Amino acid sequence: MTATAETSPPPSASGESLRYLGARLRQYGAAILLPLTLVVLWQLAGKDGSLAGGALPTPDRVWAAWKIWAFGTPSGMSLSPYVGTWAESVLFSAQRVAKGFALAILVGVPLGILIGWSKLAQAMVDPTIQWLRPVPITAWLPISIAIFGIADFGAVFLITIGAFYPIVINTTQGARDVEKNWIRAALMMGAGRLDILRRIVLPAALPSIFTGLRIGLGIGWTAVIVSEMVAVKSGLGYVLWDAYYVGRMDIVIADMVSIGLVGFLSDWLIVRLEMWVLRWRRLQNFNG
Amino acid sequence: MGTISFNAVSKVYGGPAGVRALDNVDFQIGEGEFVALLGPSGCGKSTLLNLLAGFEPLSDGVLTFDGQAISRPGPDRGVVFQEAALLPWLSVWENVVFGPKVQGRSAAEYEDKARDILKIVGLENFHQALPVQLSGGMRQRVGIARVLVMEPRALLMDEPFGALDAQTRLSMQQLLLEVWQRLKTTVLFVTHDIDEAILLADRVCVMTARPGRITRDIPITLPRPRSLDDLTTSDFTRFKAMIMAEMRAGHH
Repeated sequence: MTATAETSPPPSASGESLRYLGARLRQYGAAILLPLTLVVLWQLAGKDGSLAGGALPTPDRVWAAWKIWAFGTPSGMSLSPYVGTWAESVLFSAQRVAKGFALAILVGVPLGILIGWSKLAQAMVDPTIQWLRPVPITAWLPISIAIFGIADFGAVFLITIGAFYPIVINTTQGARDVEKNWIRAALMMGAGRLDILRRIVLPAALPSIFTGLRIGLGIGWTAVIVSEMVAVKSGLGYVLWDAYYVGRMDIVIADMVSIGLVGFLSDWLIVRLEMWVLRWRRLQNFNG
Repeated sequence: MGTISFNAVSKVYGGPAGVRALDNVDFQIGEGEFVALLGPSGCGKSTLLNLLAGFEPLSDGVLTFDGQAISRPGPDRGVVFQEAALLPWLSVWENVVFGPKVQGRSAAEYEDKARDILKIVGLENFHQALPVQLSGGMRQRVGIARVLVMEPRALLMDEPFGALDAQTRLSMQQLLLEVWQRLKTTVLFVTHDIDEAILLADRVCVMTARPGRITRDIPITLPRPRSLDDLTTSDFTRFKAMIMAEMRAGHH
């Protein structure tokens, strides 16, 4: 009866929160140290705002270019695509990733549950998946363009394919490893087949599913950039390739940093969701 | 309440050359009877319970519950597992009402009963706790509560207190005695603990391994209602000596 009842006497509140704040700051400090060092070295290595024989701009020029790209207002006749269009580009890409990712979840999770649960489904579907999986998303580009043209859905299609494999494979794994006694207990309590899938196999597989989601989302970002470089005329991938063509390496680098940032942010969202959904599991791990 | 009948039941694992876990078992449990199945690990006592629960098919023989051949698990035979086997993502309350809920009963029908039963097992203040936040003994109380709420005609308990510390085990045995003396449900209780078998059961059936057989069937005539005080009476000690001799004889 002692498991949850015990709580240590509350320490002085301000001391505790100060220590917490200190630990947090140390953590952020450690995280920022390496990129900061790299940026400083990069800046110092440059001469007159560029390095590698003029091919690469230094961080201060990238920063300046990004500020105009993000906050500049287009003026007069100069129709530069790199003035005030950053948020728009980010949204184009993010919105495609969201659609493709959602589609991959909608197909991948139920299919993975089915393959992991039913030997028949596994025998019928799994070999095909394993055989298509080595085909990289870049190899799907021609087909995607042939079917959807230079259009939004081409990118969504590629993201779906890229994110689908890790989601379906991890879901399958999770559905296969469900503890036998959970299923027996549910059957004993009168659960039907659908109840078992929905109320036992799905929640039991969630930890694996989230692993698949995180990997799938990462691949989704790769896919959106690749397809925007080739098959769509907007978004961060399009800007990246376009800027390269017109020699705006400052925009190229600002674009790369932006991709990293929004990719990191979307992963963080998944992690937060996971922490909330899998509260039962986190507690389990704490208790050892 | 149900009657249970094993007629020449055998269970072989892994094909014709496999392990014979149960060999030609004949075994009856009457209505409202509390029977303990006692034996060393690996003697097939859990297999016997699993057949009765409908978790595994038999290889040979006839096994009936209330005259019906058993084909699959169902809420008429409530199983209490050794490690409770609660669903870790559901709260105590959700675990307990899982059965009635998936059976499609209305909330009005089961909610009062679930509340009463949680009170009986001493968990009225833990409805919203997750299984992982409970001690082993509390988890097993939930395991018992979720079965009782279905009003099963038989309780099948597979070493339910085997993983608990000695102190907690005693309090769980006391709780089970109280609950059973109130409900008088048919119980098959699998254990390797001689004291536990004698304290709880009307009959102790001793099993031996390889091949799994029931070698002795000993009526425990200690008066009811019983309590933990019975553990130290001379009658109790006599039963214990008898069963220990029996188990040693069966061990070669």
